[in-house]
Amino acid sequence: MEHQRWADWIRERDDPRIASTRPEALDDIVVLDLSYKSFAGCYCSSLLAEFGAEVLRIEPPVGDFIRKCTPYGILYKGEGLNYLSEGRNKFHITLNLEKPEAREILKGLVAQADVLIETFMPGVMDEWGVGYEALREINPRLIYASITPFGQFGPRSRSRMPDYDNIIQARSGNQYDSGEMLPEGKTYDECPWAVPTKAGPWIGWVVAGTYMAVGILAALHWRELTGEGQALDVATSEAYTSLEDWAAIWYQGAGVVSERFGNLNTGGWLYCFAPTKDGAVFLGGLRLEMWQAFADMLGKWDEWGAAEWKDMADFSTKEEQLKWAELVFAETRKYTSEELVRMAVEYGQKGRLAPIAPVVAPVCSPEETMRDPNWLDRGIFTPVQDPVYGEVIVAQAQYKLSETPIRIKWVCRPVGYDNEYIYLKYMGFGPRKLKKLKEAGVI
Amino acid sequence: MGESTWRNYKETKFHKPLPLKGIRVLEVCTLLLGPSGPGILARLGAEVIKCEVPPMGDTLRSMAPFSYFFKDQSTSLMRPNPNKYWIGLDLHKPEGQQIFRELAARADIIEENLRPGVMERWNVGYRQIVEVNPSIIYISKTGFGQWGQYAEENRPSNDGAAQGMSGYAWISSFPGRPPLKNRLYICDSYGALLGEVAVLAALHYRDRTGKGQYIELSQSEAIMRTMSWVWPYQQITGKGAGPAGNRDVSICPADTFRCVDDTFVAIAAPDEEEFRSLCRAMGRPELADDPRFQDHLTRLQEENATEILRIIAEWARTKTAEEIERLAEEYGFAASRVCSIKDVVENEHFRERGFLTEVDDPLLGEFLDYEFPVMMSRTSPRVRWSVRPVGFDNEYVMRYILGKSEDEIRQLYECGALGKWAQVRGRRPPPDWDGKAGLILSKESI
Repeated sequence: MEHQRWADWIRERDDPRIASTRPEALDDIVVLDLSYKSFAGCYCSSLLAEFGAEVLRIEPPVGDFIRKCTPYGILYKGEGLNYLSEGRNKFHITLNLEKPEAREILKGLVAQADVLIETFMPGVMDEWGVGYEALREINPRLIYASITPFGQFGPRSRSRMPDYDNIIQARSGNQYDSGEMLPEGKTYDECPWAVPTKAGPWIGWVVAGTYMAVGILAALHWRELTGEGQALDVATSEAYTSLEDWAAIWYQGAGVVSERFGNLNTGGWLYCFAPTKDGAVFLGGLRLEMWQAFADMLGKWDEWGAAEWKDMADFSTKEEQLKWAELVFAETRKYTSEELVRMAVEYGQKGRLAPIAPVVAPVCSPEETMRDPNWLDRGIFTPVQDPVYGEVIVAQAQYKLSETPIRIKWVCRPVGYDNEYIYLKYMGFGPRKLKKLKEAGVI
Repeated sequence: MGESTWRNYKETKFHKPLPLKGIRVLEVCTLLLGPSGPGILARLGAEVIKCEVPPMGDTLRSMAPFSYFFKDQSTSLMRPNPNKYWIGLDLHKPEGQQIFRELAARADIIEENLRPGVMERWNVGYRQIVEVNPSIIYISKTGFGQWGQYAEENRPSNDGAAQGMSGYAWISSFPGRPPLKNRLYICDSYGALLGEVAVLAALHYRDRTGKGQYIELSQSEAIMRTMSWVWPYQQITGKGAGPAGNRDVSICPADTFRCVDDTFVAIAAPDEEEFRSLCRAMGRPELADDPRFQDHLTRLQEENATEILRIIAEWARTKTAEEIERLAEEYGFAASRVCSIKDVVENEHFRERGFLTEVDDPLLGEFLDYEFPVMMSRTSPRVRWSVRPVGFDNEYVMRYILGKSEDEIRQLYECGALGKWAQVRGRRPPPDWDGKAGLILSKESI
């Protein structure tokens, strides 16, 4: 096979360092992102902007509130840190949609756009006269993407309740059965950490935004075939719920409500975080041979009777898992995390069942993650040189493509930074007209 | 709100085309990170052929909550694998590899999640497939990607490994407690979802230029992408991002609170109007004018956040989750009880929208599945059928798609390139299967 190792061959073609020498997949697409108070919308348009779509980020003149949603209130050069990460490659303009004149300008932009993303409460865009049914008349090829807490239709769609990530996580069902179990005989007052626990990152928003990006791209393909645009509707909690993969079937089939199971896994053994001398590791051995390899690696092949094991289902009941967890954790506590990781790599090379080996991975702090040479080598944390914000580290290169790699051209822009260029390009507004519009509070 | 656009959406789904009609996908995937991606394409109407090594197939077939199987099928297998065609194809065998290349020649997309280099050893790697189909879109999804130290070490990965190595679990825990693994297989499910953004962007590029390409995705890298503020925060402050329990450190107030009946409710009210509403609902309107809480950036500061969350916690402790949800609607802030799976399955709104959708499967009978969570007004995604035993659709794929003769198919079975399920739970059909239901073109041959 061309006598070059696969790893070397593909790296020559998909290393993020050569991204700028390659074309972009979506550089023929113009996206209007009107999202407000919604990270889901910002994240969605980021995924398209990374592929080269020209995203016009449209904010009210005071800027999107999401810019002020930043850890501990920290601003960097005036910018919130979440927004700093999701302003990537977008042109930032302002438009006060409360004003009728602004809506006429929006219509002009829509006539020239391919995709519109919005996160207002259902009905708001219609009241402004710029809902899907009105805009479709202007541009039948438009893909009109709405992300809201309850969606565009259904009994609760008229709710005025705002949407935030922690609400999505609670409503989705996925927070309820995540978290530590309350130790027997203890109360919540004694163990305030043994409660339903949400994920730290804005995963509810992110998942909703990513689903919408998939929907938009599928709709773009359909439009290539037929010329037809359409409206897309994501309800944020539905999006996050849909990542749940067994609890609903279990409830329907057996009437069991999935409850918290700490660092073990209701869905099967061996699959848990285990304590070590200096922290924790993840242990994975879902196939019988991998679980056997793990026992063998710890020198427990005979003592635990691994040769006699037949079926993983025998280990997956609650009682068996709790019993085995105690035995396993007593062993893992004897080693450091690093030692256990090395033992698994070596077992995969020369163990009795090699190349079969258990999965053993360190549980890292994000600080350790950001220093890990493996991820640095793979271009995840390459600092971006930004003309406004200087050198900034944001996650990138999350997928690597041989023909049309993603890239970051700039990380973010202040409110209204690109008004001059974008309004000139699309609406022919020169400095005089812009000044007037600004004075009238339109932009 | 688009009254005419969404009228009778649920009822008219099957009267609309599917957006990926005519796209053919080959899948050599196991567990979740792999199969969930083609599962998305299948919901969008692509024809997905899932290749499993007979007779045991996908490892996911063994997984079930506390060993509960739904009609002998793995509950975990069902969600990522709707609408697929199932063939038992042994890629260790040259004849199996040949069949795969014949299918690849008429496919648009290939998805695999084996360790780097395995597909190439089986003569169906990207470099080999490009020779029979230059415009193929080929995605490999693994723990660590195709190159770099961990890939070189041939490390295996799971969702939990990615939760650990990315720092995701670390910041999804309570301070002072050991890092907590999220109950979702989030790095699998999310990695797969994100992978489809790349696949469909590549499809758009192919629509424009005719060119295919290779894509690699690491599930750890995918989940790091979701941890937005963490990386610039660490760079700018020089401090590590830490765990904060249920408190959202970027939004204040936003936390989960214990109610009077020991159930839990999430509340959020960060913008000025929402915060004022919450204070009024608590009977404490003066708090909105307290200098410590006067605007969002001020509230977010550690000391102030701790104080306002303490005040809300005391109040929430005297209410039920339902009362707080009602007050949120009435006053204009956000709140939701922490829903259990029972609440989700019984959610009338989800049902009315058709997000919870009834599937009437020839093998598994009736059950509720989650519909693809992007409703598309012109091209509605949908679930049609569920999982199948290993090799269940061999005859359909060999005859209808490849046009093989009876003799050729028999030879493929004889040499072991084709095979069917083992007679074990998770692999075989449901116990009440009549030997015919669900089969396509082969009701006589089994």
